[in-house]
Amino acid sequence: MKQYRAHLLVCAGTGCVSSGSFKVKEALEQEIARRRLQDEVQVIATGCNGFCERGPIVMVQPDGIFYQLLKTEDIPRLVEEHLLKGRPVKKLMYVPPAEDKPVPKMKDIEFFKHQRLIVLRNRGRIDPEKIDEYIAFDGYEALAKALTEMTPEAILEEIAASGLRGRGGAGFPTGKKWAACAVQKRSPKYIICNGDEGDPGAFMDRSVLEADPHAVLEGMIIGAKAIGAAKGFIYIRHEYPLAIKRIDIAIRQAREYGLLGTDILGTGFDFDLEIVQGAGAFVSGEETALIASIEGQIAMPRQRPPFPASKGLWGSPTVNNNVETWATVPNIIRRGAKWFAGLGTDTSKGTKIFSLVGKIANTGLVEVPMGISLREIVDGIGGGVPGGRAIKGVQIGGPSGGCIPAKLLDLPVDYESLTAAGAMMGSGGMIVMDDKTCMVDLAKYFLNFLRDESCGKCVSCREGTQRMYEIVSRITDGQGTLEDIALLEELAAAVKDASLCGLGQTAANPVLSTLRYFRPEYEKHVVERRCPAMVCKEIVSAPCQYACPIDQEASSYIGLVAQKKHAEAFRVIRKDNPLPSVCGRVCSRPCESVCRAGEIGEPIAIRALKRYVLDWAREKGLDAPERLPVTRPEKVAIVGAGPSGLAAGYELIKKGFAVRILESLPVAGGMLRVTIPDHRLPKERLQDDLDYLVSCGLSIKTNMTLGKDFSLDDLFRQGYKAVYLATGAHKPLEMGVPGEEAEGVLQALEYLKDHHLGIPVSLGARVAVIGGGNSAVDAARVAFRDKRVKEATILYRRTRREMPAYPEEIEAGLEEGIRIEYLTAPVRIRTRDGRVVGVECIRMKLGEKDSSGRARPVPIPGSEFQVPADTLILAISERAYTPYLRESDGLTLSPEWGTIIVDPASMATTRPGVFAGGDVVSGPSSVVEAMAAGKAAARSIEAYLEGRPFVRVNEVTRPACYVEPVKLTEEEAQNTKRARMPHLPRGKRRSGHDEIELGFTGELALKEARRCLRCELETRDAKNALGRET
Amino acid sequence: MIELILNGLCVKAEEGWTVLETAKFYGLEIPTLCHHEGLTEFGGCRLCLVEIGERPRSKLVTSCTYPAEAGLVVRTDSDRVWSARRMMIELMLSTAPGSKVLQDLASRFGVTKVRFAPRNDECVLCGLCTRICAEQMDARAIGFQQRGHKRTISTPFDLRSEVCRLCGACMYICPACQLRCQGPNAETALCNACLTMEPTCLEHYDDLQCWMYDAGRCGTCVRDKKS
Repeated sequence: MKQYRAHLLVCAGTGCVSSGSFKVKEALEQEIARRRLQDEVQVIATGCNGFCERGPIVMVQPDGIFYQLLKTEDIPRLVEEHLLKGRPVKKLMYVPPAEDKPVPKMKDIEFFKHQRLIVLRNRGRIDPEKIDEYIAFDGYEALAKALTEMTPEAILEEIAASGLRGRGGAGFPTGKKWAACAVQKRSPKYIICNGDEGDPGAFMDRSVLEADPHAVLEGMIIGAKAIGAAKGFIYIRHEYPLAIKRIDIAIRQAREYGLLGTDILGTGFDFDLEIVQGAGAFVSGEETALIASIEGQIAMPRQRPPFPASKGLWGSPTVNNNVETWATVPNIIRRGAKWFAGLGTDTSKGTKIFSLVGKIANTGLVEVPMGISLREIVDGIGGGVPGGRAIKGVQIGGPSGGCIPAKLLDLPVDYESLTAAGAMMGSGGMIVMDDKTCMVDLAKYFLNFLRDESCGKCVSCREGTQRMYEIVSRITDGQGTLEDIALLEELAAAVKDASLCGLGQTAANPVLSTLRYFRPEYEKHVVERRCPAMVCKEIVSAPCQYACPIDQEASSYIGLVAQKKHAEAFRVIRKDNPLPSVCGRVCSRPCESVCRAGEIGEPIAIRALKRYVLDWAREKGLDAPERLPVTRPEKVAIVGAGPSGLAAGYELIKKGFAVRILESLPVAGGMLRVTIPDHRLPKERLQDDLDYLVSCGLSIKTNMTLGKDFSLDDLFRQGYKAVYLATGAHKPLEMGVPGEEAEGVLQALEYLKDHHLGIPVSLGARVAVIGGGNSAVDAARVAFRDKRVKEATILYRRTRREMPAYPEEIEAGLEEGIRIEYLTAPVRIRTRDGRVVGVECIRMKLGEKDSSGRARPVPIPGSEFQVPADTLILAISERAYTPYLRESDGLTLSPEWGTIIVDPASMATTRPGVFAGGDVVSGPSSVVEAMAAGKAAARSIEAYLEGRPFVRVNEVTRPACYVEPVKLTEEEAQNTKRARMPHLPRGKRRSGHDEIELGFTGELALKEARRCLRCELETRDAKNALGRET
Repeated sequence: MIELILNGLCVKAEEGWTVLETAKFYGLEIPTLCHHEGLTEFGGCRLCLVEIGERPRSKLVTSCTYPAEAGLVVRTDSDRVWSARRMMIELMLSTAPGSKVLQDLASRFGVTKVRFAPRNDECVLCGLCTRICAEQMDARAIGFQQRGHKRTISTPFDLRSEVCRLCGACMYICPACQLRCQGPNAETALCNACLTMEPTCLEHYDDLQCWMYDAGRCGTCVRDKKS
């Protein structure tokens, strides 16, 4: 035999073939021939290696180097470096996510490390089309042993003793099944291999058939000997051409070698095999349907008993096992039942192959010992959910399996545990889902599959799956009711109970298990008309509008900008937003974080587009207010002229009420005015919005402090019929570090407020800011613009990735010269003569994730260091502050947070006629959330004043009107990059407080707006409105 | 003879009998739709469901296809059987509300509401027509097409069949399209006009069938078992 110094094992499983492994193999062979290495190096095509995510894959033996994601252009370099110069190519090796060092050897890669290969022992190591290679790795040794040394009874005993259970899903003991058939006196008897693998996302059987066809053959011949069959069938679905081809080759080779046919190995035993191709019906995988299909009839299951073991194919005793079961048999015979029984759990022995797919870093095929926890498979082998998202659950067992929620991930994987948890082993499909998976939609997906694949015989299954699909569709369309959920549950139970075969009996599982673990998600769909995962498009419409607390129809006005209809775009924005100039600059943009364009590239710059429209409208003088007439007798007082109070006021004057806002500061605008710096939100722009509101008829009185200048009772005495409290949350939290009371220690919000109100603040040359939020960055940047300040440093205890401040603000701050010390926490404030001189800090490292999902910082002992500072600004956090309230006011406060307690729907406090909202209720939140609270309170106040109970109406999200989409060029459609907004040059920044972001030009705005995917046009309503087919 | 437990009583059955045949022999009524004595068993309508085995591991099977086995424990009228049966009737009725057979079944088993949108398919795919055509008329002119929710009964390729002799056996045996319910709004909804007299009875036992079941049947169990 020819000796080679190296073998290149090219994966030729279906996964790698479709990612181009045959081309890679061809390129390898050409390059090797070009380098005249063909006598030293051999290229071999192997079966599926399992790590399909990384295909095409090449293994170099004997070094064990693992190359992945190969392209034909990588090949010359690989051959030259590795095979000629002996230097493995690092660039083509596997790099684990979140690390930067490549792992050269296959055995060290996490994906392979935790697997236990028995059935798949030959995967990626032999050429499945060469029987000699199989024989070289102990192939057909078990067959020889079974035929020459063992009686049929001995084989049966061995299989029974091994504890092997069927790998097709139901887990019936294989030994018992064989014995039941062996005792039958009638002949002929038949052996069947079930390779009709039809679960979406499952490809275990295909892989075994492709990677090691002889193992299946060997198992079947042993089984035939055990029960006394002379003929066997391998049933493979015709969608698996490569598997069929390789099994066909294997059968021919086995016949040639005398391993099939008459007088096998000279023992006088006759057995032969035939391939039957399935026509693609999922139900054919059911035993009795499969037998009917081989007989040439419609694949329709029939009642058992009689079981196939006594009355199967053509009425003869038949043993039918799954591909994986057959491939396990030779291993048991060769290595002994005792060895096999030593693997796995008490009731589930050996290993099981799973196809790990869905939202998982390492997609592929894994073989693990039974009893391993789901977490080990998902996190250990699978590498967890990519993109740092949270895992929501794992769907196991194919379409009729069930969902295991994330909280049960420590569940051991064996037949009993999975069934008890409402799932099933099934054939071994494992679909990992993250928080972007809607469980109701998932159930709908599987029901749609099942209503197609039900054979249609039983009423329960045929009508049941169809009706369940209709109900679940109603729910995902936002039309469901609570009765629908109850009916769904009742129907699911009946379908499970009344159906004939495994398909029907488990067809309700997708519904039952999602209802069992994710019922609140169903209820959210029907009660609140919300889809938390933002998947159900008939509910969500456009995610940007769905996520916006004040229901801004972003995709509509973006669509109008794309058509250059700026005036109309402006009206769409104005309709729902009392402070558009403000929102166009400082909104926290919940819309952009859920933008679907962000899933494939960068999200649309929605805020910047809004600002563009507003700037355009102001220039054109379009934002002309119209005085709103007072049409109702009741007067309403609002305390606090921040975003929440202003929004509530505007909504109320639109409804015809007379409204007066009372503000304790000398200026209106609240936090917008006194804490957000001018370089982010110029005073003039805020004033634009305020002027508009005042011109509409909103009355704002400043320098009026509740509790000092007036009381709640005074307001009612003065004839106000309702009061809305929106006083905000601005009491700084204490840091709990010694020295906080020293001179030179400032609170960020106090400092910013004094700065904006023109009150002198004494600042030293070196300013340190503690915190990582927007106010920390704001304070540092404002201070750094002060002539007295020479350096400004932010101390933050986590890394930049965790910083809550907006990334563009951090970036701009760094550009301006702010320093940020990450992973730094203060221990003590150093003082001299009562004045701050610096901070003693300690280095942190990131530890386990806490409840907020962020990594918890842990101090590194002994890493203390000094940060000198003349002024220290604390920007930790704030809490609601209500010193103005008296016992007699009759309001209730949260003992924990100091916030005012209200009914979440109506925003009513415990005192009739008094409502509250914004930060004083929620604690520190965003501008847009505060505005949403104001708008909601206005609706509730209206109901209160009309003397009717307030009912919140939950409707699916829809824009007021639909805007035609624009036609894109091919190049535009490919554009996933966001347009960059021009910024104030760095040199001009420190000298003043001018706005940094200059806004889109018309050209940039148009380009950006045209990028929008217009998700809102996907609903049926939209298609009807625009006259498109649904 | 095989001995088995039927509704708590030890009974004997002939070798080869089904559970349905055994029950009938002892005068117990089990509703059927796709079953016909002259045709092979199908097991599709799921009306003849019975509960077999010892609880809690018992399961529901169709009595028309399940062989009488020695020692088998069978319950023909347990709550579990009834609620599954009711759902089957509700499902079938929603696809063929015009059928008098189904409307009568609904009345007899206390199905008082149909919660699924009526479809008026006028076919419940029981397969009686295809079986009578193949087995009694030896024609095989019609058969099942497609699977799942797309399943229909038709001639091959939906063409006029050359082997069909227009004998009408398929129409004769059909429970859905021939005999029409004459109730006021039968086309769209549950009728419940006939067979609704329900005198009260005293007790209900999970294991027993009312002695009047086979005669005029009093309907008491229906009232009792209404959930």
